[in-house]
Amino acid sequence: MRGVLRVESSFQPVRVVLVEAGLSGRRSEAAETLEQLGPGTRVDRVTDAASCRARVSTVPVDLVVLENTPAARDPSFLRQLSALGPPVIVVLHEAVAGDSLDAIRAGATECVEPGPDLDSRLTALALDQVRQGRRHREHEEAERRIVELEDYTENIVQHMNSALIVVDDSGRITEANPPAEEVLGAEPGTLAGRSFEDWFVPEEDEATLISRTLEEGHRFKGAETTIRRSDGRRVPVGISCAPMKDRRGRNTQAVVLFQDLTEVKQLELQMLQSEKMASIGQLAAGVAHEINNPTGFIHANLHQMNEYLADLRRTWKVTSELQAQVARGDLGEAQRVSTQLSQLAEELDVDFVYGDFAKAVRESQEGSERIRHIVQDLRDFSYRDTGERVEADVNQCLDSTANIVWPMMKHSVALAREYDELPRLRCYPMQLKQVFMNLLVNAYQAIEGRREAESLTEPGEIRISTEAQADGIGVEIRDTGSGIASEDLGRIFDPFFTTKEVGVGTGLGLSTSYSIIERHGGRIRVESEVGVGTSFQLWLPTRVPTPEPADD
Amino acid sequence: MTEPSRGARPRLLLVDDEEGILSALRRTLRREGYSIRTARNAAEGLAALEEEAADLVLSDHMMPGMTGLDFLSEVKRRRPQAICFLISGWSQAVTRGELEKAGIGGLIPKPWDDGQLKETLRSVLPGSPS
Repeated sequence: MRGVLRVESSFQPVRVVLVEAGLSGRRSEAAETLEQLGPGTRVDRVTDAASCRARVSTVPVDLVVLENTPAARDPSFLRQLSALGPPVIVVLHEAVAGDSLDAIRAGATECVEPGPDLDSRLTALALDQVRQGRRHREHEEAERRIVELEDYTENIVQHMNSALIVVDDSGRITEANPPAEEVLGAEPGTLAGRSFEDWFVPEEDEATLISRTLEEGHRFKGAETTIRRSDGRRVPVGISCAPMKDRRGRNTQAVVLFQDLTEVKQLELQMLQSEKMASIGQLAAGVAHEINNPTGFIHANLHQMNEYLADLRRTWKVTSELQAQVARGDLGEAQRVSTQLSQLAEELDVDFVYGDFAKAVRESQEGSERIRHIVQDLRDFSYRDTGERVEADVNQCLDSTANIVWPMMKHSVALAREYDELPRLRCYPMQLKQVFMNLLVNAYQAIEGRREAESLTEPGEIRISTEAQADGIGVEIRDTGSGIASEDLGRIFDPFFTTKEVGVGTGLGLSTSYSIIERHGGRIRVESEVGVGTSFQLWLPTRVPTPEPADD
Repeated sequence: MTEPSRGARPRLLLVDDEEGILSALRRTLRREGYSIRTARNAAEGLAALEEEAADLVLSDHMMPGMTGLDFLSEVKRRRPQAICFLISGWSQAVTRGELEKAGIGGLIPKPWDDGQLKETLRSVLPGSPS
C-alpha cells in the first residue's frame, strides 16, 4: 500500500508532531510509519500535551498524531489543537467501542482503529489529512488575500487625491470617493445611486465624455470640461474616463477620474494677465502721447476761455449800465455809454471772442471725448477673462485692439483693414485681443526696425484681414517690417525667446499667443522673409472642439 | 527774406499734426501781437517758410513723416537766425545733446503753461510788441 501512495514530486516535506505513549526509548510503530510519508518528512516525537501544544504554536505543523495517551482523551486539549489549525489523528491501539467517536467528538479530525494494516491506514489518512489541511490553509490564505486586496483597493480609492467615480451603464454612480464628493459638492455618502448627469452636464448637444465612454467604449485622458456642482457653481475639471469591461468584454461601466482645475485656471489667467499688463507697458508711450495732446489743448483752452469770459463780463457790465440809463430816460448819458460800449466791443474784438469761445468749447469737447475713448479702450483691454467662453465678434476684437496700438504706431505705420463678414465665435475674447495685440506690436516694432535700419521716411504697412471659412475664421496680420531670420523662425513660439533688446519684450508674447490659440483649438502659422515682411496667420474653429478619444 | 525791424510784428510758424493744438496755441498767443501761421507737418512747414520766412518756429516732435527734430534742424540749416523750439509731451523723445546739436532753443513740454510759454517767447523775440 505504501507504494501506491506515492507522493508527488512537488510534495513539500511534511512535518508531523507525534504524541507517543510514554518514553520507552523504542520508536513506536506510528513514528516509523509517519517517517515514511514522503521525502524530508520530519516527525517530532513528544510525550505530553504541553510539549505538543508548544510545538504546534511555534512552528508550522502539517499534522498532529496522538497515540493512545491521556492527551488523546483530553477534550480541552483536542479543542485547543484544532483551534491552532493542523488536523489531528488519534491512533487507537485497543478497540474500545465508542472511543473513536469520543475522540472525534472531542475535536480530533480522524481516528485510526486498531487492527490489521494499521500502518497503511495511518499512512493513507495522514497523507489525506496533510493534503486537506494544506488545501484548507491555501484556501484561507487566498481568502485573506482577497480581503486584503479589496481593502487595499478600497484604501487607494478612498485616499487618493483625485476624485473618482464609477458609473454603470444606466448612468448611475456605483462608487465614489471623498474627493469626488468634495469636487461635486455632495454630502458624504450621497453619490451612490445618483445619475452622473446631475453634475456632468452635456453642453450644447455635446454628449459628455462619460456617455461617450459608456456608449462607444472610448477612453479619454486629461480632457477638460465644466461640471455643475450641487450648489450650482460651475467648476472647470480635468477628466479622464476609461471603459470597464465585464467578463464577456462588454462595456458595462465607466471609471471616471477628475480634478478641480479652479486654482490651475486662476493661475493660468493670472499668468496671462501678467503677460498682458507687461505688453501694455510697451504701449505706454503711445498712449501717454495720445492723452497728452488733447490734455494740452484742453488745458490751454480752459485758460483762454476764462479770459474770454472776463472780456464778455466787461461788455455785459457796460451793456447793463446802458440799459439802466435808457430805463431812467437819461438819453444823453445813454449816448455816452453806448459809444463806450462800441469802443470796448472793438477793443476786445467781441465778435471774434464769441466765435472763438464756441470753437474752443467744441474742440475741447472733442479732445476730452478722445481721452475718454483711449482710457476706455485701455480699460477694456485690461479686463480679465472670466475663464468661460463667450460669443464675440472677432472683427470687433481686432478693431478695439488696433485702437489701443494705433497711437503708438500712427506716425510710422499705415494700417489697412480688410474684414470679411464673420459669424460670432464662442471664444475667450480678452485672450484673443491679447494675441492680436502681441502680433500688432511685433509688426509695428518690425516696421520701426526696418525704417531705422534702412532710414526710410515712408510709413510701413500693417494689413489686418479676416476671412470666414467653412469650418472657422481666418485672421492674417501682415507687415512690411524687417522680417524674421530663417534660423529664428523655428524658435519664435518658444517661451523667453526674443531678439528684441533687453527691456523691450518679455519673450513671452508669442508663446502666450500660441497657447491661447491652442486653447481655442486653432492654429497659428508664420511666413516671413527678411527685408520684405512677416505674415502671421491664425485659424480659429467655429465649433468648440471636443476632446479626442485617446484610445490605444 | 527780410529781417524783422523794430516795431514790426514778429512772425511765428506753428507746426503740429494736431489741429486742436494749433488752435489752442493761436488762442494763447492771440494777444501777444505776433503774426501767426500754422502747418500740419514738416513738409507743409518747409513750404510755408519758402513762401515767407519766420522769426520763430515752434514744432511738435512726433509727426507723420519727418520728426520735429529733423524738421527744425533743416529749418536751422536753411536759415540759421531762425529761433526754433520743440514742443513735445514726451520729454525722453529727444536728448538735450540732440537739441543743442540742432541749435534748438529748448523743449516746451506738453501740456504747456500759458504764462510760461508767453514769457519764453517774449524773452527770445526781439522787439516784442507793446
